[in-house]
Amino acid sequence: MGRRRRCRVGPDDATRALPEAIAALSRTLPAGPSPETFRRAKFDSPEAAPALWRLLFRVLSPGPPDGASASLSLEAQARSVKSALRSQGYPSQALAQLPDNGSQGSRQLLLALAWLLARGPLLEQLLAQSRVRLGDEMPVCECEALASPGPPAPGMGEAGHVDIRHLQWLMGKLRFRWRNLMASQQEQCALLGQIHLYTRGCHSDRSLGHLSVTETELLRDPEGGRQLLRRLESENARLEAALEWRRREQDTVLGASQPTFLPRSPEPGARELEPVARELQALWEQLQEAVEARRAAWEARHPQLQVGDRGPAWSAARRALDEVVGRDLAALQRAWEPGGGLTQPHGPRRLVRTEARAPGGPGLRASEVIEALRTQEAHLEVVLRQLQGHCRQELARLARALPGLIWIPPPGR
Amino acid sequence: MLPTGCSRRLVAELQNALDSCAERQRQLERSLRVARRLLQAWEPKETPAPEPTPRPETNEEDQFSACTPSPQDLQELELLTQALEKAARVRKGISKAGGDKAPSLKSASIAASPPSRISAPAQASRRAGSHASQTKPPKGIRQTRVPAKNLPEQRLLSVADATYKRRGAQAVKPEPGLRDQQMVPSAAAQAPEAFMLKDKGVLLQLPVAFRKAASQNSRLWAQLSSAQTSDSADAAATAKAQFLQKMQTASGWPSAAEVGRLQKACSLLRLRMEEELMADPEDWAQEHRCLLTLQGLQAMVGQCLHRLRELHPAAGEQLLRPWPEGRLPRASSPCGGGADPVWSPQLLLYSSPQELQTLAALRLRVAMLDQQIHLEKVLLAELLPAVSKPEVLGPRWPALCRAVHSLLCEGGKHFLTILREDAPAD
Repeated sequence: MGRRRRCRVGPDDATRALPEAIAALSRTLPAGPSPETFRRAKFDSPEAAPALWRLLFRVLSPGPPDGASASLSLEAQARSVKSALRSQGYPSQALAQLPDNGSQGSRQLLLALAWLLARGPLLEQLLAQSRVRLGDEMPVCECEALASPGPPAPGMGEAGHVDIRHLQWLMGKLRFRWRNLMASQQEQCALLGQIHLYTRGCHSDRSLGHLSVTETELLRDPEGGRQLLRRLESENARLEAALEWRRREQDTVLGASQPTFLPRSPEPGARELEPVARELQALWEQLQEAVEARRAAWEARHPQLQVGDRGPAWSAARRALDEVVGRDLAALQRAWEPGGGLTQPHGPRRLVRTEARAPGGPGLRASEVIEALRTQEAHLEVVLRQLQGHCRQELARLARALPGLIWIPPPGR
Repeated sequence: MLPTGCSRRLVAELQNALDSCAERQRQLERSLRVARRLLQAWEPKETPAPEPTPRPETNEEDQFSACTPSPQDLQELELLTQALEKAARVRKGISKAGGDKAPSLKSASIAASPPSRISAPAQASRRAGSHASQTKPPKGIRQTRVPAKNLPEQRLLSVADATYKRRGAQAVKPEPGLRDQQMVPSAAAQAPEAFMLKDKGVLLQLPVAFRKAASQNSRLWAQLSSAQTSDSADAAATAKAQFLQKMQTASGWPSAAEVGRLQKACSLLRLRMEEELMADPEDWAQEHRCLLTLQGLQAMVGQCLHRLRELHPAAGEQLLRPWPEGRLPRASSPCGGGADPVWSPQLLLYSSPQELQTLAALRLRVAMLDQQIHLEKVLLAELLPAVSKPEVLGPRWPALCRAVHSLLCEGGKHFLTILREDAPAD
């Protein structure tokens, strides 16, 4: 079946295809506005604005919609949309100037939507976010956990000073929670292993072999199974609509709407570059310090081997080192240049228990992930120890400044 | 006592860490509840109906909802029960010398809930065997294997029923349907006829409607992935690029992709720097290599800064502002944004529960270490200044210092001892 129609662009084709494309878009977007709303928005009709503000809010807010975010007022949603677009680097200033009450600007919103759609796989991302998960999934990296650090907790009841013992108590509580978490996690893995074992051979998909918890649960609880089926079917409908939209993309508003010339303004872009700029600067300073320290140490230790020396044996060795370092750094640079691949596995994966030892088969093996995680663990442990060592040195320095006290380190140090 | 601002920030950070831990725990608890329930006995009336081979006339609702058994079914069940009773008698007669046991067994079995008392597998296995011959080989093997085992009494009829449901309906009954699933509870209402995943999990089968929807789902996801990756050759992609370009030049700002690259560069460079700083060179070659690497890294950072200034000439001025109050960015994760994300879930293969546990434990450990490093940075930024003026704190200083030392250097787990050196009494 041909996925793409070769669009001989005649005016008839365009006028027919456009509404269908819009209809497909409307079917695939979550809480999608009707095609009529889209049409009105093209003419900047104010009636269409609230629906589009809500749509953009839904699209831009991270994570699945919960009761809290859905009950935000239109104004709050509009403000949130503006700030989200700014942080994503939306170049238009005109949208930021729209009133917060959400009563205007449907054409600008349409433009913003087109921008979001053009920038990346927005529809796929939205669908993936709310995807019906049929398998038992385990993420192999910590991206998602780190991505949303969450806002700092609001002011606690206590005003002002806190005894350090309270901090010690909080730390202990944290350690305890982690221990609990690890124990629960171990139990879950054991149970998963059992369920996978007991349902081996039951799955219609041979590559999976056994059922997942979700699938077994739907057999145990038919009502829940019905709901799951409904969700699956509605997702399928949205997927089909997304595919249809992809087929018809070139017929859409993208070509039609001309972004008006927008006035330059330093604010939006600067905000985005600021943190990066600061970090890079801090990094540069740290490196500067480190390089100077090492160079001084080198010159003190090896006064005869100046860094710029030209002796024959020295220069051959030095050239070799130069090359090695050069290759190393080039490889590092490739990691962030466009086209650089991810060095580590990424994203949640469906767990499959299998005895098969076939290498090169589909899917990642747990042993590989374990290897990668062990490396990461070792690295992080070193970083932590280094930080702790730095603290120890600082405190020792302070202690030395005060005579009359004897410091006895804890046992084992 | 710690100063106000410092206290507030530290408590907020720790509370944040506690909250994210609690959130993970909540999610785990949710899935643990489901898993534990699945491994216990399932409610009898919810006995899963392994779908017999496709029945086009059965509509979706019937698959899940209950039906009342017809008189025909009850009759068939009675026949089966009698057959099983006879087998029980035969076995009892053989195993026990006393024949008077048999009649009592018979009467007892008819009076009370018969199915749960019967234990002789012989007749059932013969029956199962004949049905099994009609099954696909793997399922058949499983089914004959089950009766051959020495089953506890109450399991037997469930097994026989499962077999019966699977194949018997086709061979024996003219009218297909799912009333089978009700046979167990209606005939053995008082029986503790429970479905145990451990014993009969292998007999489960997913309903047809679900299977269809699930396979359609994965097919559509696959299509969507491939539709996306083949975009680059298409007119749509060029149109998109042109559109973005128009918007971009209209405002003159760097694209998000560029900023993302710089961010990724920054974190990778930082990671590399930290590695180099921690390395302990053993000979002059390693030392020199370390130095060269650091110099190279510095040059690369310089390049990034240069590119940044090209994009945003005003960036230079803002760099002089001090670090604002707020969370330190986390640079330790090397996971970049999706380079080429695949949308439908890929597989992670494991071979034993121990392997899975190791993997999960390591994952949590990495997350915990990451959090600890972040907290350490925050704590050290706040607490070191707090103890750096012993003269201000006076006699309380040693105690505070001891507490800070424990928090910062020992993870709060160990404490050092401070002794005051008294002047010797003369």
